[in-house]
Order: sequence, then structure tokens, then C-alpha cells
Amino acid sequence: MTDDEVLQRLREVIRRSAPNPMDMSRVGLATTIAALNFDSLTVLDLIYDIQQEFKVDFEVERMATARTVGDVVALLRSVGV
Amino acid sequence: MSRSSPRQDPPSGPRRLSRASTAVRYAVESAVVGASLWVLDRMSPAAASRLAERLGDATFLLHRRRRKLAIANVLRAGVAADEAQATTIARASFRSFSLTVIETLKNKRESDAGSGVEWHLPPETEALLKAPGQGLILVSGHIGNFETAGRWLSRYKPVLGVARRMNNPGTDRLMQKRVPEGRFRITPKHDADRGRLMAALRQGEILAVLIDQFAREHPVMVDFFGEPAATYPSTALLHLITGAPLVFGYTVRTAPGRHKLVLSEPLRFPRTGNREADVKVVLDAVTRRLEDAIRACPGQYLWAHRRWRSVPPSRSDVTPVDAGATVKRPTVA
Repeated sequence: MTDDEVLQRLREVIRRSAPNPMDMSRVGLATTIAALNFDSLTVLDLIYDIQQEFKVDFEVERMATARTVGDVVALLRSVGV
Repeated sequence: MSRSSPRQDPPSGPRRLSRASTAVRYAVESAVVGASLWVLDRMSPAAASRLAERLGDATFLLHRRRRKLAIANVLRAGVAADEAQATTIARASFRSFSLTVIETLKNKRESDAGSGVEWHLPPETEALLKAPGQGLILVSGHIGNFETAGRWLSRYKPVLGVARRMNNPGTDRLMQKRVPEGRFRITPKHDADRGRLMAALRQGEILAVLIDQFAREHPVMVDFFGEPAATYPSTALLHLITGAPLVFGYTVRTAPGRHKLVLSEPLRFPRTGNREADVKVVLDAVTRRLEDAIRACPGQYLWAHRRWRSVPPSRSDVTPVDAGATVKRPTVA
């Protein structure tokens, strides 16, 4: 799977998990998690949905502290996605 | 999306007055709390307990709004047969809360933690507590001495309590100084370090959370004594995403300075892939356990708490995304 494909699937997961409806076409690797309106509570929704979508095991605190969408993609790539 | 201007306009007259009045109120409050702590440190435990009971009674008599709320909540929960019994339970609840505050402030030395506590825990839970590197989530409610229970458990492994900071920063600083150093720590509810709670679990610590707080944001509606109550989903999500077992626990005061600490067997809930349904299952289960604990000792539950507040309206506007920018969340009343 390429970075673009991971990003595409991740956009769909973010759309489902996001606390507010979003314009997903503008979500790119540089978009910050904060700009997506995830806070310390709703980021847990996102992690659940990412685990469910990609079926991979990772240290969840690394996901929780990711700053940008690109960081999340890199983390997923590092665990074999 | 508009960004905030670097130059802020000075507050208008009434706003400035309101800020000044809050600052004065906070300063007075901090001074009173500081003086009270000084006196408290010089009292015997028995005298402090007697003082706490009197303070609880006085608050019950003088704080009309909270008293009425507590009595109404007891009746709403169906744990009292009539208003007279509800009043008795509500009064006991005020005493219990006052004792909790005083005991917590008085029992500041970790070496004191655990004396006078009768432990009730199944062998599987004790094994978990003794297993090095095994994180677990302790779920409780505002019952008994919910503040000090975390300190008692820290004899097994480090405990990270999730708590709300006080509105008054001066009082908050005074209270933070009373938290013993070492194996019991407190972290703010909305911790900016999102990984801290998960890291604590991975490092084999106990994460202690109260399940019966009104959820202002992102609530899941869970029946509490048969009526929907806005509940934070984070406890359930932490369990589901980390796999750390949940243990429900509560304390009951059995005599002045003596407590019973009851822990459940480890609770584990499966993931089905339906996040909302999974969260609801977990929250329902732990809330049923909290209800059972409250029914067993209704006078030790914090009834003067607006658990059934109306839920904030949902927001459905599309939020624009601006790469790299932080969007301020709308405030919910």
C-alpha cells in the first residue's frame, strides 16, 4: 500500500471519527490533528477506528501524541500498513 | 476562518469589574482555605472528624439550593421511600462529603495511607494488582472517600488519578501541595498530553477515574437509576483501545477514620467494531455496579451533584479545515 492509499483510507476513518463534520478534501499530510478538532477525549475515538480499519497493533500513546496526519501515516507505515 | 488578532482589546467596564470581583473572591477564598488548612493540621483526627460533621450539617442547613437538589436527586433515584427518608439520606450525604474533604486534607502523608482500611478484593484482582507491568483502569464514583482510595491502592502500584482542576488557581495550588509525592499522582481531566493516560497504563500503573461526572462534551447517554445521564466515553475507550482490564471499586466509611474498600473482579469487554455500541456496553455495566454500591450505602453518595443535567445541543455545522491552524472548539454551556 502506498502513502497515498494509506492517506485515503485514513481520511475516511477521520471522517467517521471526527467530532464535527469536516471538509475532508482539504485534509492532507500537513494537517494537524488539532485542526481536525480532535481533543484529548475524541482522539480516543480516532484511535479505536484506526485500530479497527487497519487491524494493526501499535503503541496507542504514540498515536495519541501524533501532531499531524502525516505523523499518523508514518506510524501506520512503521507497523506494516 | 478568522484567526485571532495578536493585539487584544482591553475588557469593557462591566467585564473588567466582573474580573476584579472574581479576583477578590478568589483571593479571599484562598486565604480562608489556607488558614483552615493551618488549623486542620494542628487538630487530632477525632476532632477533625467532629468538625467535618458539623461543617456538613451547617452546609446542609445553609445551602438551600444544594440541599433541595440532593433531596430531589435521592427521590429521583428511587433509593428513598418518601421525602423524610430522602432528607435523612441527603443530610448524611453532606456529612459524608465533608468528612471526605477533611480526611483527604488531613491524611496527607503517604505513610498514613491504608491504615484503618478493610480490603475486600477477589484473588484475581489482587493478582492483577501484584503483577508487575500490568496496567489497569480503576472505575469508581463519588461514593465514600473516593479521594483517598487512590492513595490506598498505591501500596500495590503507582496510581494516576484523573481529576478536574479547581476554578480558583490559588486554592488549586494550595490543594496540589497537599497531594503526597511519590506513587499517587493527579492529572487534569483535559490533559494536553494526550498520551499520558495510555503511557501510564502501558507502564503498569493504575489509572483511577470517576465515571459519574456530567459530560459537558461528547457525552454518551447512560441510564443512571433509570434516567439518562451524560457520561464521558473515555474510560470505556481507554479499555477498548489498550486492552487494560477494568476494576470497579468503591469505599464505605464504617466508623470515624475507618473504611471498607471493595474491588470487583477484573472486567473485560470485547470489541465488536461498532465503537458506539461497545462504549455503551462498558459504561452501562460499570454504571450498574455503581448503582448497586450506592443502594448499599446511599448516605455516602454525593447527591448534591447535578448528574442529570440537560445535555448540550449537538453541533452539525461543517468545520472548515485549515492545514496547520488550530480551530478553537465552540464552548458549550
